[in-house]
Order: sequence, then structure tokens, then C-alpha cells
Amino acid sequence: MRDTELMVGAFYNPHLGAELANADGIDHLAMADPPAATDPWWPAIRERYTLLLHDYLGQLSEPLDERSIARARALAELYGSPWVAEHFQCLHTVDGAYNLNYVFPPLYTEEFLARFVANAKALKARLDQPLVMENIPGFFDVKASQMPEPAWLRCFFEATGVGFLLDLPHVWLQAHYRDVDPERWLAEFPLERVVELHVAGVEHDDDLKGPWIAPAEPSDEMLDFMAHAVSRCPQAKAVTFDAFSPSLAADVLFRSVERMRRAL
Amino acid sequence: MTPAPSDRALQDDVIRALADAPYRGSAEWRARRLADPERVERYGRFLARHFYYERLVHFFKYSRALARVTGRRPEAILRRPGFDALLPTAVLGSRGTARAVARLAVEYVSEADAPIPYLADLLRYEEAMMVVEAGPRKWRDSDGAGGAGSRERYPPEKVEGTLLLEFAFDLPAVLPKLLQPWTELPPAPVRPTKLLVARSPQGRVAVARSDAAVAAVVQLADGKRTLAELAAGAGLQASELEETLKGLVDLGAVRFSTGS
Repeated sequence: MRDTELMVGAFYNPHLGAELANADGIDHLAMADPPAATDPWWPAIRERYTLLLHDYLGQLSEPLDERSIARARALAELYGSPWVAEHFQCLHTVDGAYNLNYVFPPLYTEEFLARFVANAKALKARLDQPLVMENIPGFFDVKASQMPEPAWLRCFFEATGVGFLLDLPHVWLQAHYRDVDPERWLAEFPLERVVELHVAGVEHDDDLKGPWIAPAEPSDEMLDFMAHAVSRCPQAKAVTFDAFSPSLAADVLFRSVERMRRAL
Repeated sequence: MTPAPSDRALQDDVIRALADAPYRGSAEWRARRLADPERVERYGRFLARHFYYERLVHFFKYSRALARVTGRRPEAILRRPGFDALLPTAVLGSRGTARAVARLAVEYVSEADAPIPYLADLLRYEEAMMVVEAGPRKWRDSDGAGGAGSRERYPPEKVEGTLLLEFAFDLPAVLPKLLQPWTELPPAPVRPTKLLVARSPQGRVAVARSDAAVAAVVQLADGKRTLAELAAGAGLQASELEETLKGLVDLGAVRFSTGS
């Protein structure tokens, strides 16, 4: 049984600032980027919404440096964010020579677990808000991984006490590419740790020759999956339509949030 | 016996394979048998399109705002044969690939032959921004050494990739207007303008107006000339040179060499 009412919201897309500043039916906005100095809608957005810090703070395979921690603290304060989100990602090489510029999961090994646990604990200790961490999909398995993603995540959350930001399309995609039932795959995750859920559409991608996350409306199947997941996440406080793209249309954002609210 | 690589080193190898198409196709990578090569190839192509979509939308935002005049959005090149032809040699984040992708966007938007007097200058500016941003970056303050701390001992040098550009139009006067709502095309004053485009070690691109003295300092700063020689060459007093160098270091255009 949930003890708090769920907030239903979306990401702040600056090109939709005018529409969002005057919208109804959206409880919160997640902030993927700091507001631009030239954004005329930012003051109204800040005044009107609960804002969730969901920026790139750094990859926790390495310790965050002082500059990144100071930036995270400043953004969390600017937004008045109730929690601070980061991802289970390792997307650039140690020497800085290669960078994917896209969320990419670490190897699910003991060594990476120790790295993420230590660095998340260090970050958590420097924040005034709780830290939540988001699961990231892999399109292929790397043979060096030593355990399934859900088991690795469970170990991480038990060791750190950090909250879980459960990205449902990521789980759905992992299940799809493993050819397993999404609800069965979801049941493996530590759902009792979930603070926030992400929901989005998936679309066919020509390069991947299969579905992937897209700035599109969630399907009815995804909304059913969301309702199922929420019923198993007793600590969840928010559900967010996870679309952040210059190509996102206002009607897609508003219809998605409305459909999510109805499905819950 | 060779020690097994650490998990972090293995992760770096996977990241490199995804970012660097020639490496992905190499016997060295394939011999590692770390992942399904077909899946890695598909994901590498997906990432390349995503990587350059983000950069085109950001660095070509002004010509993107002009799409209702040109009829062409720069990022449309990502679905054209020219970009597909680049994929087998693409290295995400490299200056060479940035230059090739930016060139495709410039050619595509230019072909519209739109009645925008300053379009050629604008596209050259956007192309420069995208190329300067490319290259390895420092992700954490503790990564790598160097910086400006040793300026007392070593001569200044231009940072690789820094560009000094000359335009026929005063672009900085029109750029902000292009991103605001407009019905009539905002004009750009015809005024010869020099701009310096540079990048910080963290990958932040900055632009500053330049004059003859600044241009001279940038061109002469080769890591060998002394401060006195630079001041003489640029026609600056020592205090003026100090001020100019401070601005150039902050911009990322000049650094003090480590003497190595």
C-alpha cells in the first residue's frame, strides 16, 4: 500500500517552455539540462513546478571531482529538487579519448560494483537530498559481465541505501532483446527501492533493426506495464514521461502525461 | 604470462569499439570475442547517428532557426547517403569526423541557395564551432596535468584546434536575434569581424571578438617565444600582454606549456 500520492510529470523541454508554463495536469518536471540564460519561460517554470534534478553529473565508475559535486549541489538547490538522480553508466574512457555521449551500462562485475558503491556513497554524503540511480539498457551482453543486471543492482542498493529510479522502457527493452517476458524480468529488480519511475515510447530504429527508446507516446502495452510496475513499488513517489528532445511535439508530451495519469 | 586486464580496461575497450568504427572492424577487436559483433556494429551505427544529431542540433542551431527560409534542417544529413558513407570510418568525437559531418551539413544547407546574405559566413562559423569542440577531453579536474599554473617559467602556446576566423558580416550582432521569434529575416551588419573560437580542456567551446593585437598574440604563441618577444611582436606593453593572455587562457585559446 502506497503512503504518498504519486506525482505524474514530464521532462522540461525548453522548446515547449510556453506550453509548459501554462499547462495543467503536470505535477513535476525533470531537468536534464540547466536552464539557458536566454530562456524566457524559466522563471515561470521554476515558480510553478516541483523540479527534479536529472542532469549528467558524472559517471560513478570514477569518483566525482569537487567541481562536479559543487555543480550537483548548486543545481539541486536551484531546483529545490526533492532528490538527485544519476545513471548506472560508464560511457567515456578513463583517458578521455572516447566518449559515447549516450547512456551506456558498466560491466556487471564485482569490480564495477565496488567502484559504484564507493563513489555513490561519497556523492550521497555530499548531497543535501537523497540520491537515486537509474537503470540503463544494454543492446548486447558483454561476456566479461559476471552477474545479471538485476542482481548487480540489488547488491548496489543494499550496500548504499540509495533510491532506485526505475526506467521501465529500459527494462522492457532488455526483456525484448533477451526474449523474456517483461513482467517476469521486472520481478527480478529490487522494486522495494523505487522512488521514481520513467515511462516513454519505443519505436523501431533502422540501425538497431528493432525497438529503442524514442520521444514518442507510450503504447497501451507500456502503460499496462507501468500500472503493473507501480503496483509493486510501494515507495514510489513520482512517474515521469521520459522524453527530452528538440523533436518532441507538445501534443505528444501532454497526451502522454494524461494517458499515464489515467492508466494509474 | 600477461596479467588479465582490469574490468575498467575491458569497459574502455568496449567503449572504444562502439566509438571507433575502424577499431570495431579490426582483427584485434574481433579476436577479443567480448560481444556479438553484429549487435556491436548495429549499436555503433546507432550511437554515431545520435552523437552527431546532438552536435548538429547544438552547433548549427542558427541555421536550424533559418530552416523556414532555407527549407533545410542541418540534421537531415544524418539520413542521407553521405552520412552513411562516413560510418565505416567514423570515430566519435574525433576532429576528422566532426569536420566531415559538419561539411555535409554546410553543403546541404548551402545548396538551398536561400536569400540570406550572411548564410555562408554563418555556416562557416557553425562548422568551426563543431570542429573546435571535437577531440579528447578532461572529464575530471584530477585528469591529466598541466594548466596555467606554470606561467612564470614557460612560454605560452596556442592550444591545438583554436581557430581565428574572419567574416564579412558582424555575426555576433545577429546570432541572438535568430533564436528569438521573428517574422522578417534579422539582418546582419556588413562589418569585417574577427572571431576567436577555442575550447577548454573540459570541451566547452567559447567565442570572443578578436582585434589585431589578440590575433597577433595567438599566431605568435608557439610555446617557444618569450613574453618579451610576444609583446614586441604584437605591439603590446607588458601589462597589456598579461591582460590579453589572461583572457586567452580563460577562453582556452592559449595555455602555458609545461616545458616538456
